[in-house]
Amino acid sequence: MKEKLTTIKQAITLVNDGDIVALQTMATVASPMALVRELIRQKKQNLGLVVLVGGIPVDWLAAAGVIDRLIGAAVTMEQFGLCQQYRQAVEQGRIRVEEISESVLNARLGAGARNLPFLPTRGAIGTDLMKENPDNMKLIEDPFGGLPVIACRALNPDVALIHAHRADRFGNVQYEPTAIWPDIGIMPNAAKKVIVSAEEIVDTEVLRKNPDRTVLPGFIVDAVVEIPYGAHPTSFYPNYGYDSDFHRQWTAISRDKDQVSDFLQKYVSTPVDQSDYLKLIGGKTVLKHLARWEEEE
Amino acid sequence: MSADWQNSPPADEYSIEELIISVLAEQFRNDDQATNGMGSFIPVAAFMLARMTHAPDLIWLAGTVGLEPRPKRIPASTLEAPLWKDSIMYIEQYGDAWHYLFSDRWIEKFCVGAAQLDQFGNANNSVIGADYHAPKVRLPGTAGLADLCSLGKKLYYWNLNHSPKSLVEKVDFISGAGYLDGHDTRDKLGLKNGPQLVVTNLAVMDFHKESKRMQLKSVHPGISVDEVQAATGFELLLPQGTVPETARPTEAQLGMIREDIDPDGMRNK
Repeated sequence: MKEKLTTIKQAITLVNDGDIVALQTMATVASPMALVRELIRQKKQNLGLVVLVGGIPVDWLAAAGVIDRLIGAAVTMEQFGLCQQYRQAVEQGRIRVEEISESVLNARLGAGARNLPFLPTRGAIGTDLMKENPDNMKLIEDPFGGLPVIACRALNPDVALIHAHRADRFGNVQYEPTAIWPDIGIMPNAAKKVIVSAEEIVDTEVLRKNPDRTVLPGFIVDAVVEIPYGAHPTSFYPNYGYDSDFHRQWTAISRDKDQVSDFLQKYVSTPVDQSDYLKLIGGKTVLKHLARWEEEE
Repeated sequence: MSADWQNSPPADEYSIEELIISVLAEQFRNDDQATNGMGSFIPVAAFMLARMTHAPDLIWLAGTVGLEPRPKRIPASTLEAPLWKDSIMYIEQYGDAWHYLFSDRWIEKFCVGAAQLDQFGNANNSVIGADYHAPKVRLPGTAGLADLCSLGKKLYYWNLNHSPKSLVEKVDFISGAGYLDGHDTRDKLGLKNGPQLVVTNLAVMDFHKESKRMQLKSVHPGISVDEVQAATGFELLLPQGTVPETARPTEAQLGMIREDIDPDGMRNK
């Protein structure tokens, strides 16, 4: 098996300016935040994002001017409110949104993964999503005489960014039992390259004990890096919950350009590595608190 | 199940959220399956209330992820793992979740919110303003709403801020198909079911059988028909005769909501 273990810097050099990047994220759940911070540090430009439901990573990438288009079903931080930097950028025309429903996104990625020109859905028929997106959604007749369906054009992102519980050095990736959203279920399979950050890198023998937990085979993964708490401030179950205080710190200042710039300077540009970042966000005290999410709730 | 819920008297004091929860709970039958999305404290409370009263076998797929979970109370998010604590099964989103959602056998009903809803029950959670690519307000987006509306589901909308801005003659953008232009325009696309009820802080509305226009079904205690009309951005159809009053939640229902289902008051946030 080929060696895939590398540094976060090397891994993110696989992302080129202008790429379409499929990002794991679900409001406040499981997002590869360390990889996202590295995209900002390397000053990537003109990226397009593919998200199911984007949260704080989308807001940061919008704030840093890294993205100029987004394909997705929604962007929100749920109880922490709207992503204000993203919202301002869209309202000012700096980010172009191709809004699609969840079933359309799944169909587009599914077609991409299976090397088909399109897959159909019956979701979204009659909406304005189709009217605004004639290049990727077309109402077609059922060749078997049933009701019409929407043909959803294949989407193959240039690269998928994923965070997982563990991986070996050959890029075989495991996920602990928890919610599995399409961003693990289909996005990496449709993408041309896959970059994975994992809470821990383990010996392949460890994976062999629970092959049912392996979600991505090493042959589709291009780079893997070890990043403990790599999803902070989003949740990563069962390891840790989302950081409410951190989300609130962000939403308290996220409408103001100068404060946003200071915030990103502090948490994105300044930390030299992940352990430096973890100290900044409160160190062991905060991490222990986040790990106790079951008692907290 | 609480033994005395059937004979409990209507409550004198209740919040608008509690009234809406009790109206929505009524819509679920014992053989239904229910599921919820983000920020859905009111629907989740309604499912839990239905299960504690008239629908003990109502199946709940929390966040379309966790089958029959046992959260002690409603947590701070309805899309995070604490909601699907102790589930029987995790349903994979790209796989079985959409098998069940696409099916016309399962999960027939949804409770959802919309920033704008129009006289034909079309919903907008996408943009406010005429220019889609430079909108006045960028809203979160349709998420799964566009799918559910077109997959023949029955939609129950809730709205805590009944106003001419949220109940509009025509939505700026159709993120979820209602009855489109009314009459048989929805049928013609082969779309079944559609919006059933709109429950707001002032009243309950349904849709006229033929024209598919929104009509007043009941006004909440203390609210007049004129007040509801004045807060609505289009002319509401009126039922024949006197407009009935919305049933108040019972003392037993309030007890369950406040003590068992949502002691932390997530429904008010």
